[in-house]
Amino acid sequence: MQEAPTANPENSSLENTEEYREPAIRIKELDFLYGNNQVIHNVTLDIFPKEIMAFIGPSGCGKSTLLRCLNRMNDLVDGARIGKGSIEIHGVDLHDKSVDVIELRKKVGMVFQKSNPFPKSIYQNVAYGLQIQGVKSKRTIDEKVEESLRKAALWEEVKDRLNENAYGLSGGQQQRLCIARTLAVEPEIILMDEPCSALDPVATGRVEELILGLKDEYTIVVVTHNMQQAGRISDRTAFFYLGKLIECDQTKKIFLNPSKQQTEDYISGKFG
Amino acid sequence: MMSAQKEPKHPFTPRLSRERIQETFVFGLLRGMTFFVLFCAAFLFWDILSKGAGKVFEGEGLINWEFLTEHPQTLHVIGEGEDEIKLSSSNYYRLKDEKMYEKWNTFQGTFDYNNKRNQLFEASKAIQNEWADQSLVLAEARFIEREQRKVSDKFSFWTELVTNLESTASDFEIKREEVLPMVSQFMLGHFEKERGRLQLLSDQVTLFRAQQYPKIENLTKENLKQIQLAYNQFLAQAPQTYNLAMREFGEEVTITFNDFYSKEGPKEFGRFAEALVAYSSVRQAFLEEDQNMSNWDDLQQCLSPFKEAMAVALPSRDFAYSGGGIFPAIVGTLLLVVGAMAISIVLGVFCAIFLAEYGKSGKFLSMVRLAILNLAGVPSIIFGLFGFGLFVIFLDWNVSLLAGWFTLAFMVLPIVITASEEALRSIPQGFRESSLALGATKWTMIKTSVLPFAMPGILTSSILGVARAAGETAPIMFTAAYAKRSELPWEGLEHWTDFFFQGVMALPYHIYVVSAKIPQNEYTADMQYGTAFIFLLLVVGIASLSIMLRNRLRKKYRW
Repeated sequence: MQEAPTANPENSSLENTEEYREPAIRIKELDFLYGNNQVIHNVTLDIFPKEIMAFIGPSGCGKSTLLRCLNRMNDLVDGARIGKGSIEIHGVDLHDKSVDVIELRKKVGMVFQKSNPFPKSIYQNVAYGLQIQGVKSKRTIDEKVEESLRKAALWEEVKDRLNENAYGLSGGQQQRLCIARTLAVEPEIILMDEPCSALDPVATGRVEELILGLKDEYTIVVVTHNMQQAGRISDRTAFFYLGKLIECDQTKKIFLNPSKQQTEDYISGKFG
Repeated sequence: MMSAQKEPKHPFTPRLSRERIQETFVFGLLRGMTFFVLFCAAFLFWDILSKGAGKVFEGEGLINWEFLTEHPQTLHVIGEGEDEIKLSSSNYYRLKDEKMYEKWNTFQGTFDYNNKRNQLFEASKAIQNEWADQSLVLAEARFIEREQRKVSDKFSFWTELVTNLESTASDFEIKREEVLPMVSQFMLGHFEKERGRLQLLSDQVTLFRAQQYPKIENLTKENLKQIQLAYNQFLAQAPQTYNLAMREFGEEVTITFNDFYSKEGPKEFGRFAEALVAYSSVRQAFLEEDQNMSNWDDLQQCLSPFKEAMAVALPSRDFAYSGGGIFPAIVGTLLLVVGAMAISIVLGVFCAIFLAEYGKSGKFLSMVRLAILNLAGVPSIIFGLFGFGLFVIFLDWNVSLLAGWFTLAFMVLPIVITASEEALRSIPQGFRESSLALGATKWTMIKTSVLPFAMPGILTSSILGVARAAGETAPIMFTAAYAKRSELPWEGLEHWTDFFFQGVMALPYHIYVVSAKIPQNEYTADMQYGTAFIFLLLVVGIASLSIMLRNRLRKKYRW
């Protein structure tokens, strides 16, 4: 990841889209298929370091699929394959033979729609990623667990009951625990697949706060159904419809002055 | 009724409609059938529990420990009706021995009682050892004589054969010179062999005698006469009944004099004394020293007429396997269950992991699934034959624990695989995805975030399946089960690997043997139901253990 010399470089760069920046993720003319069913059509999209990118669109528009392509989670699905095009992270094609998917997933973490901590203690949940990577030192793990929980704004709430089952936490806390678990393995990019869809407004608010707080360190891609949420947290927004990228621009512009009619219809609630 | 009819009907009065009749009928049918099933189950349990409890809880203490800790034995029933006594073999023979020694003691007592006869007794006692040798010589002589007779019988047979052949040859005009060399060649070889065997045997006996006994002195005819006299005296003074206290049962048996001596027992002194002295001294000699078994067997054979003469008749009705206990069968069943469980769970879980986690859905996988489902439908006797063919014959494991384990394991494999696969599939996909997203390899993912959570389900279903299979007789009857084995599995092992290549007794097979191989009666039924009772307890125990295990694990991993 590039070191940012100035405190807040993206504001200026976002204002000026002409300025060239090295994208963290570059999607080029991507076609993606489940068997013979093409779900993503010719998508080209750049995601820049340390920005929050929101994917919006109606159900079945391919936004989740695209997200799952970014750390090759789709490998798990039988018959899922790339038709053409490529996805590059730091200029490396993800589907190149030399790419180790395990290393990739360590760098590209993922938070899922349904909060799914393991039925173990809170501590073990956060330590899991480190333990499977073979970290043995108890002190390193302890430190990392605390650091991750602090980053996920959960430390104060759980520090006295680290050894209790994670399922004793509320839904919002569980989701933040999942984020902490992802942070513990030190990713550069975090993918979030509708992280707040199962949460009430208060819990949603806290998770959104957390996401905004993480922006300084991580590149974040969020898939959301909730357009207000996209509006609240994202720097840029991409609108998908029927597997096609309709429009991608700065969030303010998408919401206030979309260039495509479909985008406007969707955002104003005419369909979807 | 009249007044009820007069009352004005409200709109919700029940009316007799077709649906209502149907409803009542179906309800009755459903309830009736359920109760019928319940009744059958209750009858089965009541039958086994009530009859089995008699065997398990009989005797002095609360539990009949003998039944649980002893080997199966033949049941001897002495007397009839009220006076009947049931004895297992070991106790029966102990009683017999006791009576035999009493006979000897009474014999002694008679001499003590009479001073004059006492003298004779001393004389007889003095020559007791020599008697032993004398008897032994007699035995040897008989043995050698018998062998010689065998040889001479054979010789006459061969002579006859040659004569016959010669006459046949002349009938068919075959030259004698052509036939005879062949026959005589063969005969010579045979005789050499026979002679060698006989020589070997007599050498063995002589050697044995030289080692064990001092030089034999001749018995005088006077000695024999004296003892003859004493014996007659003893017969005249012998009490007509004997009361034998049976310590281990706390009962007293009255046996008449006629019972005491069998019809074929010693009628004359010679046989009696001969037998008595020979038996006691030879027995003594052999008990004191570790004997060469082949000599011992030979001698046993020679001495058997003496032992017969010595024996006390204790008329009884015998029922094979209906006495003693079922300890080896309990041990065998536990061993079979544990081994089969381990093998089937390891094999089954690995299979299920492959099918559920690695296998890509396609023709191959659906064929594997079909094969597994079909395996579940194969009758148990076929599994028995399969195990017999593959493990016992082809792999040459003989009738052994190992063969039984694998046969049983293969029988429950479909249950274990199906159950494990279901348990694995019931783990939320989210656990797999989050684990992978944290940079786990597939096996790490399975090991850390799928298998531990699926374990409760896998263990419960598998253990229940195995417990059910433990009740099967057919798969083990050709592969692992013995009807009777006197050693326990850990006894008499030359090398630790022998443990896996020995057959064992098993409860289901024991029930089968007891109930199928001998005529049914009250005595065998006792053993049958007792065994069934214990077996039921065992299976219920295993099942509840698995449920306890599941509950514990479930508490630990709940989501």
